[in-house]
Amino acid sequence: MFSTAAPLSPQELVALESPPTGGGSGGRDFLSYLARKLAAAVVSFGGLLVVGFVIFSLMPSDPVAALTRGHVTSAKQMAFLIKQLGLNQPVWERFGHFVTNTLTGNLGYSWQFQTPVSTLIAQRLWPTLLLMGSSTIVSVFLGMWLGIRSGWRPGSLLDRTSTGAAITLWSVPTFWLGIILLVVFSTGLGPIPSLFPAGGMSTPGTAGGLTPAHVLDIARHLVLPCLTLVLVIFAQYQMIMRSSMIDEQGNAYLLTAKAKGLRDDDVRRKHVVPNALLPSVTLIFLQVGGMISGAITVETVYSWPGLGYLTYQALQIPDLPLLEGTFIVFSASVIIFNLLADLVYRYLDPRVRRA
Amino acid sequence: MKIPQLALEPARRTARNIAGAVLGLTLAGGLAVAAVAPAAQASPSSDSTLRVEADTAFSTFNPFLAYFDADLNVIGNIYPTLTTLNQQGVAEPYLATSWTNSANKLTWTFKIRSGLNWSDGVPITAGDAAWTFNLIMHNSTAATANGALVGNFASVTAPNATTLVITTKQPEANMLYVSDPITGIPIVPEHIWTKEVSNLGNFKNMTFPVVGYGPWIATGYVTNQYATLTANKSFFMGAPKFHTLIMQYFSNGDAAVAALRSGQISEIDDLTATQYEALKSNKDIQLVPSVSNGWTAIELNPGAQTQSGKHFGNGNPALQDPRVRDAIEMAINKQELVTKIWDGLAVAGAGYLPPAYPQFQWTPPASGSLAYDPAKANALLTSAGYKMGPNGIRIDPKTHQPVVLRLGIHSDETSDAQMAPYLQEWLHAIGIGVDVQSMSFNELNAELPKGDWDMLSDGWGTGPDPTYLLSIQTCGDLPTSTTAAGNTDAFFCNKSYDNLFSQQSTEFAPAQREQTIDQMQQILYQNAVDVVLYYPDNLGAVRTTDAKDFFYGKPNAQGFYPQQNLFINWSSATPLASADASSSSSAAVWIVIAIVVVAALAGAAIVIRRRSTATERE
Repeated sequence: MFSTAAPLSPQELVALESPPTGGGSGGRDFLSYLARKLAAAVVSFGGLLVVGFVIFSLMPSDPVAALTRGHVTSAKQMAFLIKQLGLNQPVWERFGHFVTNTLTGNLGYSWQFQTPVSTLIAQRLWPTLLLMGSSTIVSVFLGMWLGIRSGWRPGSLLDRTSTGAAITLWSVPTFWLGIILLVVFSTGLGPIPSLFPAGGMSTPGTAGGLTPAHVLDIARHLVLPCLTLVLVIFAQYQMIMRSSMIDEQGNAYLLTAKAKGLRDDDVRRKHVVPNALLPSVTLIFLQVGGMISGAITVETVYSWPGLGYLTYQALQIPDLPLLEGTFIVFSASVIIFNLLADLVYRYLDPRVRRA
Repeated sequence: MKIPQLALEPARRTARNIAGAVLGLTLAGGLAVAAVAPAAQASPSSDSTLRVEADTAFSTFNPFLAYFDADLNVIGNIYPTLTTLNQQGVAEPYLATSWTNSANKLTWTFKIRSGLNWSDGVPITAGDAAWTFNLIMHNSTAATANGALVGNFASVTAPNATTLVITTKQPEANMLYVSDPITGIPIVPEHIWTKEVSNLGNFKNMTFPVVGYGPWIATGYVTNQYATLTANKSFFMGAPKFHTLIMQYFSNGDAAVAALRSGQISEIDDLTATQYEALKSNKDIQLVPSVSNGWTAIELNPGAQTQSGKHFGNGNPALQDPRVRDAIEMAINKQELVTKIWDGLAVAGAGYLPPAYPQFQWTPPASGSLAYDPAKANALLTSAGYKMGPNGIRIDPKTHQPVVLRLGIHSDETSDAQMAPYLQEWLHAIGIGVDVQSMSFNELNAELPKGDWDMLSDGWGTGPDPTYLLSIQTCGDLPTSTTAAGNTDAFFCNKSYDNLFSQQSTEFAPAQREQTIDQMQQILYQNAVDVVLYYPDNLGAVRTTDAKDFFYGKPNAQGFYPQQNLFINWSSATPLASADASSSSSAAVWIVIAIVVVAALAGAAIVIRRRSTATERE
């Protein structure tokens, strides 16, 4: 943390003043740094291929029984399905196909939807990005705004109320909160009328396209799932930002800034917030990396047709190619964004450049 | 000391401004949407649209591949079948106007209705039916969903446009149920599907409007959300009363109930008892409990074995003793389960076939009844040599081990979790310990063929022809090897039962067949491999402000309606003028609320701003 950093030597100060890249030595440093990080990302991806396959292969399941349950099915049909789904192959052979297919960009074929996994993921990507994107943006700004203010004046009324509320909401099971909001704002409760739809992304029977009515309709369907996510996750941004702000307040540079006659607001905004921002940046990148996986519980509660809900559907069979495909895409997304975060750090934090 | 700055000042200020703008706009936007959008919502009744809950998610409208209920419900209403089922579940003419069976019972001749056209104008002929059946018989991919239904077919031909001849290998008493709506084989237009045969496994049949024939035409599908059907105004049995039917899937049952309460959908089924009770106070909703076509049971492992008689699995050997299984059946108070778990919205279990089809209903005779009688169960175990151990658990005389049985229940079934403690208590009362193991549906499914279980929660349903449900108890459905999954329900194998099963499949006189099936149920009951706990009602509900005549029939003495059929329900439902005047008033209420909230936010921002500069002012 900044507060525990030793005072910088004159040489270090000079190093900080120099541009982050451009110099021969700096460029080589960057390339070396990039190569290390890329190598780590590739190793992580290889590891997740193995882990993804092993986890889902070990999962107790009988997909053929689940698919044909309650349906008149002969032994011949079941044998055909087992062969068609590749369940008669030895595990090592299935793993070989899985790795080969993945590396050639083929994520397999969903058993239950009878559609290529990549097509299914592409179909569900936009709803997930819309839901997770909107909820992340609101959560980040709400959480950080509250975190900055509550951390600047710890113990104040705003700090006590907002921190209490954030921790309470963070502790609430997402599924439960979703159901409560559903009952209150979709069914209507007491004087509160039914305001928002109970599920889906658009009102059935209405015209699609980019018409204002349709956009408004999607926005209306978005409110409850987005609100549920925001209420649960804004706390993490608030608490981390608050903690960083409190840590910063013990530093001598604040006294210097105040001694220069800067207003309180300016000291906070121009000096403290920038220094307290790094942990939140880490969190934002982690969140953005995981964004693609959607929110399984929220998407399931509100029948939001995104990737989280798709994963839930895959788990019910279980549809192994779909589970493996989504797992790879989700994990790769996290790896890529972690890599990006490492690269951005070099620009945001001079100490990383020197590391 | 120079303070490290993270970004240039103008950029940071801009970012901050953007942040504030985004946050403010998002909050204000959400409120504005809430205020404005209800007015933009389409009225459910103005366009004569029936909105119903889809039972499952949608996967494909390809009738050769479809397994899930939502797909089957669509397919059953957009393609014709040879017969249809009336309100009593009896087969009646549909595409076939009449039929005859040869003296040797092997050749069925169907007269196909003339003058009907597919939705693209091409005439429907017997050739379409023959082509459909033959494709399923000879193409493994086409047999994916319905191959078992033509397993006994030797040949299918269409000598002319109005005659279909089906020859079977063995007499088939249930022929009239092979091609009926939703559960049977739909007939597809040859001129459309012949082009898709080479790619049948990948064809989802979702190019709209789908060419077919039925009361409805599939006209749209929004991925993972809903399907749209439009009424076929020229349907020969009478056009549906609604113009449009929308089936919307909710992944969460409580969300579907919320949608029904608020009028977003008009009909729902498969309610839980709790949801059903909660809806009772709503005057706009008619609740319809219909007699069950399925049951919930506890399977008792009589010893897993292959068709060749090789035993495997680690089932408790005590359950191989039929007296132990009978004692377990007698120890369970099924009526109390109905009262406590289902609030009386179920029927206590007895025979193997559910009460939806009265012709197959079988009641145990008083002499051989295994009705609730813990004293008798205790006496039976004592007389069989199972002495009581020191901790109230009996000792198996063969293994000298306490009789403690594993009970696998579905972790995702509320009723299973409710039922387990009762079973624990009742079985302990007869000296049998129960170790409850909660498993996911998939885990439980995976355990079953391995034979590594003692007692499992189980549930099955059936259409009006019970052949398949009866078949899963035959020796022929045991696995062929210890690693192969057979269709067997609980590793039951009884030669007398198998003989009766073969006999009923060739009995064409209904009364005679029913008598044979009664005998089969008697054997199953006595062997107590499936202890049928109860038949839960199908709990449906419809908004009386939106539609009438959705459900049919009259309630019986217990208040249960007859088994419902969506093919009839969707066509008979009639639109009503909806009192949908609340939209504008609720919009007005929310505009006011939005203004108040935005004003409060603005006030809070001003206060915070003032506080932030307080030090300077002081």
